[in-house]
Amino acid sequence: MKLPIAWLRDYLDLDLTSDAIAERLATLGFPVEDIVRRPKISGVRIGRLARVEKHPDADRLQVCTVDIGADRMLTIATAATNVAAGNVVPVAIIGAELVGLTIAPRKMRGIASEGMLASAEELGLDGAWFEDGIMQLETTLPIGADFVEMFRLNDDVLDVEITANRVDAMSIVGLARELSASLGIALREPDLAPASDTTGEALASDISITLESLDCRRFVAQRFSDIVVTTAPFWMRVRLALAGQRPINNLVDVSNFVMFETAQPLHFYDSARLAGKRLVARDARDGEKIRTLDEADRALDARFLVIADDAEPQGIAGLKGGVTSEVTATTTEVLVEAATFSGPRVRRMSVALGLRTEASSRHEKGLPLGLAEWAARRTAFLLASLGARAHAPYAVGAPAEDAAPIVVPLARVGALLGTIVTADEATSALEGLGFSVTHALDAASGELAARTTLHVAPPFWRGDVRIAEDVVEEIARIVGYDRIEAVMPPVFDHAVPSRAYRDEKRVAHALAALGYREAISLAVQPASIAQTYAHANVPLPGKVLEIRNPLSEDQRYLRFSLLPGLIALAVKYRGDDAYRAFEIGRVFGDGDEIVETSGVAWLLALPRSEEPPWRDAGFLRAKGEAVALVRGLCGRTPETIGTSAPGWHPGKSASLLVDGTGVAIVGAVDPRLLAAFDIDARVYAGWMRFADLPAARVSTYRAPSKFPAVARDLALVVGPEIPALDIERAIRATKNGAIANVAVFDEYRGPQIPDGRKSIAVRVTFQRNDATLTDADADAEVAAILERLRERCGATIRT
Amino acid sequence: MFLASHDGAFPIPSLNDELDALTERLTLALEQAGDANALDDVRVKYLGRSGEITLVRRTIGTLPPPQRPEAGKIINAAVADLEALVDGRVRALAMRAIEAELDESIDVTFPGIAPLVGSLHPVRRAIEDACDYFERRGFAVVLGNEIETEYFNFDALNIPPDHPAREGLDSFYLRAGILLRTHTSPMQVRTMQAFPPPLAIVVPGKAYRRDAIDARHSPVFHQIEGLLVAPGIHLGHLKGVLTGLFRELFGPNQAVRFRPSFFPFTEPSAEVDTTCPGCGGGGCKTCGGSGWIEIGGAGMVHPDVLRASGYDPTTVTGWAFGVGPERIAMVRQGIDDIRVLFDNDPRVLAELA
Repeated sequence: MKLPIAWLRDYLDLDLTSDAIAERLATLGFPVEDIVRRPKISGVRIGRLARVEKHPDADRLQVCTVDIGADRMLTIATAATNVAAGNVVPVAIIGAELVGLTIAPRKMRGIASEGMLASAEELGLDGAWFEDGIMQLETTLPIGADFVEMFRLNDDVLDVEITANRVDAMSIVGLARELSASLGIALREPDLAPASDTTGEALASDISITLESLDCRRFVAQRFSDIVVTTAPFWMRVRLALAGQRPINNLVDVSNFVMFETAQPLHFYDSARLAGKRLVARDARDGEKIRTLDEADRALDARFLVIADDAEPQGIAGLKGGVTSEVTATTTEVLVEAATFSGPRVRRMSVALGLRTEASSRHEKGLPLGLAEWAARRTAFLLASLGARAHAPYAVGAPAEDAAPIVVPLARVGALLGTIVTADEATSALEGLGFSVTHALDAASGELAARTTLHVAPPFWRGDVRIAEDVVEEIARIVGYDRIEAVMPPVFDHAVPSRAYRDEKRVAHALAALGYREAISLAVQPASIAQTYAHANVPLPGKVLEIRNPLSEDQRYLRFSLLPGLIALAVKYRGDDAYRAFEIGRVFGDGDEIVETSGVAWLLALPRSEEPPWRDAGFLRAKGEAVALVRGLCGRTPETIGTSAPGWHPGKSASLLVDGTGVAIVGAVDPRLLAAFDIDARVYAGWMRFADLPAARVSTYRAPSKFPAVARDLALVVGPEIPALDIERAIRATKNGAIANVAVFDEYRGPQIPDGRKSIAVRVTFQRNDATLTDADADAEVAAILERLRERCGATIRT
Repeated sequence: MFLASHDGAFPIPSLNDELDALTERLTLALEQAGDANALDDVRVKYLGRSGEITLVRRTIGTLPPPQRPEAGKIINAAVADLEALVDGRVRALAMRAIEAELDESIDVTFPGIAPLVGSLHPVRRAIEDACDYFERRGFAVVLGNEIETEYFNFDALNIPPDHPAREGLDSFYLRAGILLRTHTSPMQVRTMQAFPPPLAIVVPGKAYRRDAIDARHSPVFHQIEGLLVAPGIHLGHLKGVLTGLFRELFGPNQAVRFRPSFFPFTEPSAEVDTTCPGCGGGGCKTCGGSGWIEIGGAGMVHPDVLRASGYDPTTVTGWAFGVGPERIAMVRQGIDDIRVLFDNDPRVLAELA
């Protein structure tokens, strides 16, 4: 919100710099986003044109004799046309500093000109918002007075951020009150028309108000006649302009002025243009239309709350008035509306229309009921000062009620803030903000008890303060959050586990140690990812979860797998060497239930190389890393079985098992997917769900054998379908064995092995814990093993 | 000198002459032997089982028996001396080899052979650094689901049904009443409902808001939520803990400033600023000259939230805060665009690791 310091000073005697005011507002909870520095203008006086004559030697110049309250009149030549004797105007005297120019004496076609009559732009105001030519002031202004000082034109404008709970502070008076309480400077309240009883019936001559919707909670109405529509006084126009609001005419300007001043939006109806003697606040009917003040034709339906006369809607509640009853140059009578609407209703209408106004931005936050009447009285004062005749105000709807006092033990203040606040400090802070504070009477004696408990009644404009904690914040804001001292809390014992976090952390560190770089990507993705799977004829893991209200098509779906993201990174960043990346995160699926799975995927991309179809060195590398990962995480070496999963190569994927349960899959990425993502590389990937990760085992000590080991290499020939795991298992299962280790270390297929069989080399290590093995022992073991391999796997010894 | 025989008989001096000659030959051979193998050969040739010394020993048998012990002693003494000569030569050669190795010199600036290097994402590092700090202070680290119900994301957090965030302007909805969490705060209520007080947790994780991506916003981002609820907890404790956190993250001279703010789930509420690490508080471009940077939001847990969690606001108080790990990473690693963090360019990741 724009806060002109010039306007702020109407209510406060402030002599702080703009920066000091901004800093103070920030400590009160109103950060200043920007300080709009005003041009520094000087040497401008209020002057009256005593005479205006044509320049003897120039058709386009006029020569003014100007009274600036000095002993001597000034002679000033001007090219402006809107000058006439009697006009009161801003006069820049010799030496004056205006926007972009310094006034010096000069000759204009032979006449010595002793200054300049100023226009809006030369004074740092928007020329389009004020009269063309010389700025015209009220003739009642004191001649000779310093124009800049009188209208505080050099005061900067602050752009203040207002939190959603403080609609009352979306106003100049609201912020002035905050500063008043904080700085201990008295607040000058704006002048109001005297309070009158608004509960009475509308007079017969008045327009009656009917509320048919509960979303219009209160409607304060007042009729004014004998209106003359004209330009508003300069002091009002300049304040509005500084606040960023274009001045229009005295009626519109009063309406805007009071809204900026009090936060209560108003609407002025030209009552002569209303059909019938009645306004109704009601839901719009389907098919109704309104042309609003911004000249837009808007179709209405039951979502919209309107204020309608007997013929048609005259305004969309809290958002925009209609042109039919718009105030015009010929208006002589107005009906002023100061109403309280449902905030959420106004906001929904604002969203539906894509229209947000100064009024709706206040209404949507829920205005306090009492504000309407206060603003109406301010409006009445201002309109009366412009010569309008006020009729009796009347109101319908919920009356503003005094809130029940809030009981605030002083101990609660200290308990929440961790700092001692005295009863005097708390009371003075609250009273400065308009709260009334009383102290509990001692029940027994009836005397004022020790002041340990405050009874706090919020002012009518502070509907946001409802409980003791709210009051504590008010006290803290004024005594200052800097009073809160940093202390360390004790350490508490509790039973909340950190396992999920620890698992993620361990996996991340383990993969980083294996050379993988962690990536974090947005979990939202376009439809094209799933389409790519479909085109590649790769099944999706499930139904893709769709966001109902996506921000863009690029982010309509939630990721169903971490794999596509990693592939995309490989496509983008893979160089000539191996590329490794991993991501930890959630993947999602839809169905009867929404499924959210926490897991990790890792990807290894290698340059293409020539290999026979039965061998894949890249797979072995990826698998070796995956096995090391699982072993590091749970302390057990996993077994491998072939598996298939969407996205993985059906013949080159393995499930890693611990205790017979799948923990992770690792394998080559489905080549159809690689082609679809246009990546020419050998790509391997792993995936593990955190839910499948077994608890890390703390292993039991086993003393290594003190006796030497004997190793024998066996060259076996088996059928091509026999997996290495079967051979390993068969060897390990040999009874009475002293087998310490079995390691398959080579595979060969080719012309030297007939019948399409394959050669497998295995190193078996024998060792006993109780004696040294002899060669004869080892020979016997090997014989038993070969026999078993022949039975189980059809293995022969390679000759 | 070898001992002369006590009776001056002939064979002993002759033995001594032979031994002297042998010594002379061995010494010469040692001098010519240039490495350990050659020395071994010398030892075998002269002192081995079938070496020259054995020939000398055999001559003992030709001596008259009374002289044999004397001759044996003389030979043994000579063998010990010869062994010592060989050993000395072995040691000298070894020493020379070590000295030669000591004289070697290489170009140590030549690049090392790089091992395989992975890295953690800067956002995870920020999360871990923060969580490490909190774990030392007795906080548990909990994670939560990213898909939430309106109840936990809004209702239980005192966010009224007509709040703008609930109308799909700021939140991604999946179904009626189900959305992607807009903050990590739902885990406050979930954890409090599951565990009695006292409670001390931090919650790192992703959150989702309908913000278009630009240099400072991302629809998906991370938060670190903190919650401490116990009897006697106040805002001073929060200032203390956050001061410690930012000192750990940004440097030993960090201070914390609270400014009043508004969040439906805390009362009183505060914006949290910390000393600008860019200038140490003097004012610079990073902090817009103020010397402070905004780093998070915080406040005392609203009594309604405690009640929704099954806690009694008359017996316990607590605070909660939220800070952004992206913001932490950006501030301490000098990143001026949040998108850098989600590009995952390996060159950048390597640099930031």
